Amino acid sequence: MASAPASLRAQPTEQAVKAAFIPKFARYVEWPAAAMPGPRQPLVLCVIGRDPFGQLLDRAASSETIGGRSVTLRRLPSADGGEGCHFAFVQGATGADTTRYLLALRNQPILTITDGRAGPQRGMIHFTISSGRVRFFIDEATAAQRGLVISSRLLALALGVRQRRS
Amino acid sequence: MKLLARLPERWSNAPLAIVGAVALLLLAGIGVIIQNEAAYRELQAQQIRVQAEILSASVTAALDFGDSAAAQEAVDAIRVNREIRTVGVYSGNNALVAGYGRDGAAPPQNQRGPYLGVGSAVTSTVPVLSRGEAIGSVYLAADPEPLSRRLSRYVVIALMVSLASLVVAVLGLTQNTLRRVNRQLAERADALARMNEELKVQVSERTKAEDQLRQAHKMQALGQLTGGIAHDFNNLLTVIQGSADMLRRPELKDDKRLRFAEAIVQASSRAAALTGQLLAFARRQPLRPEVIDVNALVEGMTDLLDRTLGERISVRTDLADGVCTVEADRAQLESAILNIAVNARDAMPEGGILTISTSSHLDPEIGLCVAIAITDNGSGMDDDTLARAIEPFFTTKATGKGTGLGLSQVYGFATQSGGDVRIESAVGDGTRVFLLLPCSALSGGIEPSRGSALELPKRTGRILLVEDNEEVGEFAENLLVELGHQVARAKSGEEALRLAEADRFDMVFSDVVMPGISGLQLAERLSETQPDLPVVLTTGYSDEINKSGTGGRTVVLKPYGLETLAAAIDQALPK
Repeated sequence: MASAPASLRAQPTEQAVKAAFIPKFARYVEWPAAAMPGPRQPLVLCVIGRDPFGQLLDRAASSETIGGRSVTLRRLPSADGGEGCHFAFVQGATGADTTRYLLALRNQPILTITDGRAGPQRGMIHFTISSGRVRFFIDEATAAQRGLVISSRLLALALGVRQRRS
Repeated sequence: MKLLARLPERWSNAPLAIVGAVALLLLAGIGVIIQNEAAYRELQAQQIRVQAEILSASVTAALDFGDSAAAQEAVDAIRVNREIRTVGVYSGNNALVAGYGRDGAAPPQNQRGPYLGVGSAVTSTVPVLSRGEAIGSVYLAADPEPLSRRLSRYVVIALMVSLASLVVAVLGLTQNTLRRVNRQLAERADALARMNEELKVQVSERTKAEDQLRQAHKMQALGQLTGGIAHDFNNLLTVIQGSADMLRRPELKDDKRLRFAEAIVQASSRAAALTGQLLAFARRQPLRPEVIDVNALVEGMTDLLDRTLGERISVRTDLADGVCTVEADRAQLESAILNIAVNARDAMPEGGILTISTSSHLDPEIGLCVAIAITDNGSGMDDDTLARAIEPFFTTKATGKGTGLGLSQVYGFATQSGGDVRIESAVGDGTRVFLLLPCSALSGGIEPSRGSALELPKRTGRILLVEDNEEVGEFAENLLVELGHQVARAKSGEEALRLAEADRFDMVFSDVVMPGISGLQLAERLSETQPDLPVVLTTGYSDEINKSGTGGRTVVLKPYGLETLAAAIDQALPK
C-alpha cells in the first residue's frame, strides 16, 4: 500500500492525514443502486470550491481501489456539474459559499465531506481536531435521506454521530 | 516340595489376568482422555481463531483510519474473556496499533515477534481485510483450559475406569480365594484319605494281633484241657491197669476177681463219660432224644446223688405237679444235673443242703418249658466268676481237680436241646442254676426198662464186621463171638463189598469213619444190591452222621459195652 494510513509516530501533517482519509470513506459507504457506476467504472471523488490538499489528495485517490474500482478525482469551482460525483469534499471561499454548495448537492446521492477549520457548515462527514488528532463527526440522518448507507464500523470511529430516525 | 511346586502356579494365573485387565481398562481410559483433550484443544483453537476473525473485522475501519484508540476499544472488549492472554493488532507495516497483555505477556511491537510468554498458549494470527485487501493483522493468544477444569472434566471417566478396575480386581481376588479354598479342600480330602488308609492298616494289624491273641488263648486252653484230661485219664488208667494186673494173679479168689473187674468197668464208664463231656462241649455229641418225665428222672437220681455228694450234703427235692414232658437225651440230662450237683458240692466244703426243684415256666425266648432249679447254700460266686462260669475250661478248682468242662457241658446240652442255662449267684449267698428245657409236643413218658447186665439176648447170626482199626476190630470180634455169632472181618469198605457179594450174611456191623468207602456209603451200596441185609453203624465221632443222617439205621456209639452191642444187634437181626 503506497498511501499508508497515518502512523502515530510519523507525525504527518494534518492535511496529509485528511487527504489520506477522504478516498477511504468510500470503502464504508453504499450508494443506491441507481447511483452506482457500472462494473469497472471508477468512483468519482470531487473537490468543490477551494482545494486545500493539492497533490496529497491526488496521490491518495490514485492508490485507492474499492471493490475493483479505481477513484477518479475531479476539481470543480462550484457545485455546478456536481451531479456526476459519488463523494465530494466541499469548501467554499467563505462559509456562505460552503452552505450554498451543500444546498446545491442537497438532492443528490453524494457523500459530502467538510472540514471544521473552514467553518461550522457541516456535510455528512465533518473533520475536526480532537486531542491533536484528526477525527470526524458523521451525519447519518442526512446520508440516509439521500439513500446512502454508512457502515457501522465507520460510525464506530466517529467522534459523534447524528443518527437517523428509524 | 508340593507347596513349592504350587507356588508359581498360585501366583501366575489369576493375578496376572487381573493386572492385565486393569491395565487395559486404564489404557482405554487414558486413550479416551487423550482423544478428548485433543478434540478439545482443536475446538479451543477454532474458537480462538473465530475470536481473532471477529476482532479483525471490528478493527478494519480503525486500521484504515489509523484510529488506535478505536482499535484499543475493540481489543478491550475482548479482555472480558479471561482466557485471552495476549492480543495484538498490527498495521499494514507490521507495527503494533493496539494490544493487551495479561500477566506480563505483552504483544511484541513488531508483528514478526518475538512473542514472549506464549508457552502452552493457543495462538491464532489472522489478516485484517478491507474490501479484499490485507491492511494489517490480529494476533490472539489464549490460555489453555486450566488443569483443574480439565481434571474435573475427566474425573467422571477416571471414576468409571477406577470402578471397573475395582470390580475386576475384586472378582479376580474372589476367584483366587475360591481357588485357594478349593485347593485346601482337596488337600484336606487327601489327608483324610491318607488317615483312612492308616486306619485300615491299623485295623488289619489289630485284627492280626487279635487273631494271634486268640490263638494264644486257644493254645492256653488246649494246655489246660489236655492237662486236666490227662490227669483224669491217668487216674482212671491207673485203676484199670492195676485191676487188670491183679486179675492176672492165678491164686486170686473169685469175689476179689469180681471186685477188680467191677473197678475196671466203673473206671471205663467214667472215662467214657469224660469223652462224652468233651464231645458235648464241642457240640458234636449225637443226642438220642426221647420223651422224658423230668420229675421221675430227678426222683430216680436222688440215690445216685446221695452217694456221689457224700454224707455232709443233704439232697432235697421240690417237684411241681403237672410239669410237661421234655424231649432230650436222658444220659446227657442226667450228666448235666450231676455236673451241677458236683459243682454245688464243691461250693459247700463244710456241707450244706442241695435242693432240686422243678416248675413250669414261660420263657420269652424258649416258650413253655420246664425249669429245673438246682440250689445250694454254699460260698456263691463273685460277678467276675459268674460271668465266666460257662466258659469252657474255666475252673476255680486246683489243676487236676476239674476239667472246666462241667457247666460247659450243661450249656452245650441245654442249647442243643433248644433250652438254656441261667445262673443266679452272690458271694456268701449260694448259687441257683436254672436248666430250662422246652416242653415236648409228645406227651407221656416211656420209662425204658433197664435190664440186668446178665440178661443177654440169645439170637445169633452170621455177621460181617467192618473196622479199619486193628485193636477195635479185634475187640469187637471177640465180643461178637462171645455173644455166639459167626463173624467175618473186613478192614475196609471195599473189602466188605467183595465179601458181601461172595458170601451170605445175616447183618453188617460197620464203622462209619474209614479211609476210602465210608460206613454210610457202604450201607447205601449194600441196600441197592441186598435191600434186606440190615446194617448197624458205629462211631465215636458223629460229624458225618449229623451231616447226612443214617437213613434210619441203628447207630451204636463208641465206646460201647457188651450189653449195648448185644441189644442193638439183637434188635437189628432179622426175626
